[in-house]
Amino acid sequence: MSQTPTHPKLDAKIPSGHISEKWTNFKSTAKLVNPNNKRKHTIIVVGTGLAGGSAAASLAELGYNVKAFCIQDSGRRAHSIAAQGGINAAKNYPNDGDSIWRLFYDTVKGGDYRAREGNVYRLAQISNNIIDQCVAQGVPFAREYSGLLGNRSFGGAQVSRTFYARGQTGQQLLLGAYQAMEKMVGAGKIQMYARHEMLDLVVADGKARGIIVRDLVTGEIERHAADAVLLCTGGYGNVYYLSTNAKNSNVTAAWRCFKRGAFFANPCFTQIHPTCIPVSGDYQSKLTLMSESLRNDGRVWVPKTIGDKRSPEQIPEAERDYYLERKYPSFGNLVPRDVASRNAKEQADGGKGVGETGMAVYLDFADSIRRLGDHTISERYGNLFQMYEKITGDDPYKVPMRIYPAVHYTMGGLWVDYHLMSTIPGLFVLGEANFSDHGANRLGASALMQGLADGYFVIPYTLGNYIANNTFPKVDESSEPFAATEAEARGRINQLLSVNGSRTVQDYHRSLGHIMWDYVGMGRTRDGLQHAITEIGKMREEYWQNLKIPGSPDTMNKSLEFAGRVADFMELGELMARDALQREESCGGHFREEYQTEEGEAKRDDENFSFAAAWEYQGEGTLPTMNKEPLTFEYVAPSQRSYK
Amino acid sequence: MKEPNKLLSALTSQVGRKLLTGITGVLLVLFVISHLSGNLALLRSDPAPFNQYTQTLHSFGLLLIIVEVGLGLLILLHAYVGITIMQRKRAARKQGYDVVASKGGPSRQSLSSRTMAVTGIILLLFLVIHIVQMRFGPSISQGYSTMINGQEVRDLHRLVVEVFSNIWWVAFYVGVMIMLGFHLRHGIWSALQSLAAMKPRYSTAIYSVAFLLAVLLAVGFLILPIWIYINHRGATV
Amino acid sequence: MSDTLMTIHLKVWRQDAPTQPGKFVQYTVPGVNPHMSFLEMFDLLNEQLSVKGDIPVEFDNDCREGICGSCSMVINGMPHGPQRGTAACQLHMRHFKDGDHIVVEPWRAAAFPMIRDLVVDRSSLDRIIAAGGYISTNTGAAPDANSLPVDKDDSDRAFDYAACIGCGACVAACPNASASLFTAAKVGHLALLPQGAPERKRRVINMVEQMEKEGFGDCSNHGECEAACPKEISISAIAMMRREYVKAVVGS
Ligand SMILES: Cc1cc2nc3c(=O)[nH]c(=O)nc-3n(C[C@H](O)[C@H](O)[C@H](O)COP(=O)(O)OP(=O)(O)OC[C@H]3O[C@@H](n4cnc5c(N)ncnc54)[C@H](O)[C@@H]3O)c2cc1C
Ligand code: HEM
Ligand code: SF4
Ligand code: FES
Repeated sequence: MSQTPTHPKLDAKIPSGHISEKWTNFKSTAKLVNPNNKRKHTIIVVGTGLAGGSAAASLAELGYNVKAFCIQDSGRRAHSIAAQGGINAAKNYPNDGDSIWRLFYDTVKGGDYRAREGNVYRLAQISNNIIDQCVAQGVPFAREYSGLLGNRSFGGAQVSRTFYARGQTGQQLLLGAYQAMEKMVGAGKIQMYARHEMLDLVVADGKARGIIVRDLVTGEIERHAADAVLLCTGGYGNVYYLSTNAKNSNVTAAWRCFKRGAFFANPCFTQIHPTCIPVSGDYQSKLTLMSESLRNDGRVWVPKTIGDKRSPEQIPEAERDYYLERKYPSFGNLVPRDVASRNAKEQADGGKGVGETGMAVYLDFADSIRRLGDHTISERYGNLFQMYEKITGDDPYKVPMRIYPAVHYTMGGLWVDYHLMSTIPGLFVLGEANFSDHGANRLGASALMQGLADGYFVIPYTLGNYIANNTFPKVDESSEPFAATEAEARGRINQLLSVNGSRTVQDYHRSLGHIMWDYVGMGRTRDGLQHAITEIGKMREEYWQNLKIPGSPDTMNKSLEFAGRVADFMELGELMARDALQREESCGGHFREEYQTEEGEAKRDDENFSFAAAWEYQGEGTLPTMNKEPLTFEYVAPSQRSYK
Repeated sequence: MKEPNKLLSALTSQVGRKLLTGITGVLLVLFVISHLSGNLALLRSDPAPFNQYTQTLHSFGLLLIIVEVGLGLLILLHAYVGITIMQRKRAARKQGYDVVASKGGPSRQSLSSRTMAVTGIILLLFLVIHIVQMRFGPSISQGYSTMINGQEVRDLHRLVVEVFSNIWWVAFYVGVMIMLGFHLRHGIWSALQSLAAMKPRYSTAIYSVAFLLAVLLAVGFLILPIWIYINHRGATV
Repeated sequence: MSDTLMTIHLKVWRQDAPTQPGKFVQYTVPGVNPHMSFLEMFDLLNEQLSVKGDIPVEFDNDCREGICGSCSMVINGMPHGPQRGTAACQLHMRHFKDGDHIVVEPWRAAAFPMIRDLVVDRSSLDRIIAAGGYISTNTGAAPDANSLPVDKDDSDRAFDYAACIGCGACVAACPNASASLFTAAKVGHLALLPQGAPERKRRVINMVEQMEKEGFGDCSNHGECEAACPKEISISAIAMMRREYVKAVVGS
């Protein structure tokens, strides 16, 4: 199956050797930077989530001068803070048969064979170091009475490999990275620029050499030069308006890099998480995830009769359809996310949805409460139940939860090689922002693992290798490429402000979200996607004629910030639809209704679509072109996923 | 932290200040308790036991003076640190809120806690008056003398009775003792919280004990002037 | 639960810049759904203002689920509003009544300089962490995670303190504008773990010193911080910080 990429830039640079030796081989042959020279190099890290925070701290410890940027008022508030469930590692502490190989295998399979084997294997290898590192930093993972670390099974894994810190794993991991970063801030090795938004990438002599940012407090536009730029800006789930992402999550930084020549891979691969609190009205600004650990003890059901509007306790056992248990006897409620989500949609579309909107299914704890008692359930899920009650006003100890899928994670992102370098030399992309190791579907508790692997353990080696292999003629912040890029960034801001129409940014964003959710969401069709492309096109045109941004550019102005981001989201949304349209198969989170098995499961087409689609910008007004990085599977033979 | 300047900087840190107010506060409370238990002798109509008590104190001579000076310094230190804390508090929030409310629950914030500086300063002023009035008030030479065990001593009982026969002095002392109660209502709790580092589950108990102690001390003191006023109304002035 | 829309009367602090004087401005917001969060009600207000061409109210927010610590509004005199254990973003309008008057102010503390409207600068909290709120383990230097067992109770208590989201409500609520609860939560978290032991003394001394330098007030044990804390962190943390401090000063 070994094919060559359709573009010379798409060389994945996978090291030679057996899969278990590739990373070691790379590390032992990578060039090193002399310790005294490291302080002569400035590295820009955009984003302080798990990926950016861990990278900034690690690089500063090595001696590089780091400039770190984030949108929030503190590095600690990056979206990673919200991750609840846990982080995977192949420690095999429970002795239940886990291994690096098995984690590798599960991740490749879970991703529906759309990820690169070499990267995934490295991720599994590194997973164990992450746990060691985090524990040493004081991350209070759950422990047993023995004082040793506890594990749980998560998101349908058949081994207990998930480390967790109550329902706040992301928070605790991020605080570990943040504290390591603040330590280096205190030591003067990291300069922290909070409340700064990257507006563009500066490319000089073909290499990424700096960024243009806006100080979100004063509105000032600044130039920052460096020898390499690390983009750790997270995912773009907010293209759907409603998602579980934080409000400030956006695609702008990545999109600007795309426009400067970085390829954007698999943009249509989106993960819809099955257990979120359902949408209740148009006023809603975001969706809240209920950790999928809930599916360990909750049973998913809908009424058997279409349009049954009785309240749940009035529906007798015999008239309930525990559809996941019925359809997938061996995995039951623990099927992977994409399967669980699609099934919920199927029930709702079939008229069996519950709640006022009919866009929900029940997640019922009554059986578990009977079996284990209130106490055990509250010990396991107390904070989640509380959160649910706070939001909905219902008490899940008494009434089944109502849940529905919501956009949660984006597997797509900027294309990177094994070194995490994009198609622009010197531009590295880490964490959710890259097209990642998760293929077409990410397993639960694997994003935290990937973000930290990238930042703590991969980039220190691959960046060093890049620095050592290249020369860096001094670029001045007053030089031509900086001036030109800044002028473009200013131009965009002025253009946005000059429209002075009548519709607000939020209004456009909401409409974009509706289009995306309806046509580029859980079930996609050729017609729907084409419709989405047309609609978004129209909306984009209107945007630049009818947008209204109050306020001025030289103060804090969130409307202006969002206006820039929504403009980029619209362009991205269109590309996502194009990508989904070209991928005439169903795989992982990408479900094309035309391509399903008789039982309604995703039907992959390995013959024609075993590749990463890397989109290349061709200039304003021209359609981007698609290049292919073929995926070859030497170690895990693709098979149809089955969770029956 | 062997170097003295480090110790000093530790004592003048936020934690150090807190410990200083706490320690001096507790010592002052201990003093107040012993002061009250001695003064309870005033409840008797016979002046002898009270004069006997003060006589015994004075028999310590130099030692008493050392203790008194020590107590004075303690009060000054306590007051100084307390006022420093209040100054920093003012600097720490230059612009206040339009509306202030408490969420209740575990909050120990009360009128008492908010007025520590005011009640403290009132206590300080009171102490000056009280000491001038009592400690440096009329002495044997002014005729305030009585015989205890065949020895001529100062008749402090007479002085006390005279002062508390005046309704205005009674009101003043009662008022200040209420201030003392307020100061101690938060003060005792706060000192224990600062010094004892107890588990949250003891918190409510300690908060209640502090309340009880504060009330007992305040009531114990304010009963004296009232009692004396009632019993000696119309006596010599 | 009733879904009848409500009208809410707001009195909001507006200030263009730190150098300009601020003032309260009254707004009436019709069409408030009881299921809305408090911040969604502000979104609605801002939409209404934008459409009219007025300038929206700036306020910090991000996760909108009570974990990032961005949101920061004093609502009717209480940081994060009247509900205990709740950040402003998790406060829902069903806790208010049609026609209610609500006063909304920014965090007020000298160590939190004003930026705009309800937005303040909380970087002083970052600097307290930078002064010592970490365990120094350079990447790669860590031993196996299970090589050092940690007593479960200690670990659980450490977690209770580690739950701090760094919002600064404790400072906003404290009559003295003290950052003791924030600082103590981090000191407590790291002091309870064996991994934190080597830097224990320096950590507490440096963090307390930084707190002072930033201009936060002293702790007077009002306990208002715990009441306002969205994570309900106990002031036992502050007691523990003091004990750690004494040990650090006396024991070295
Ligand atoms: C509710 C929820 C729960 C989750 N639970 C889990 C879980 O249990 N396990 C798991 O493995 N994964 C989980 N995930 C996924 C995981 O949290 C994320 O994928 C991961 O944290 C992303 O980390 P990151 O470092 O790549 O980016 P982020 O944490 O999103 O950080 C992005 C950073 O980039 C900055 N930034 C963005 N754009 C710009 C710009 N233009 N200029 C300057 N700075 C910018 C931001 O300020 C921020 O600092 C969850 C996700 C959600 C939404
Ligand atoms: C002499 C004038 C006094 C002044 C100016 C004064 C002032 C103060 C102030 C401002 C505080 C609060 C400190 C804080 O908020 O952290 C305080 C605390 C306290 N005071 Fe006083 N006070 C005085 C006298 C007294 C007396 C006479 C007593 C005892 C009878 C006393 C007992 C206490 C106690 C126990 C505390 C609590 C200490 C702590 O918070 O740890 N004070 N004082
Ligand atoms: S201690 Fe509580 S109130 Fe203070 S910053 Fe932390 S979470 Fe916020
Ligand atoms: S917005 Fe994140 S805590 Fe409120």
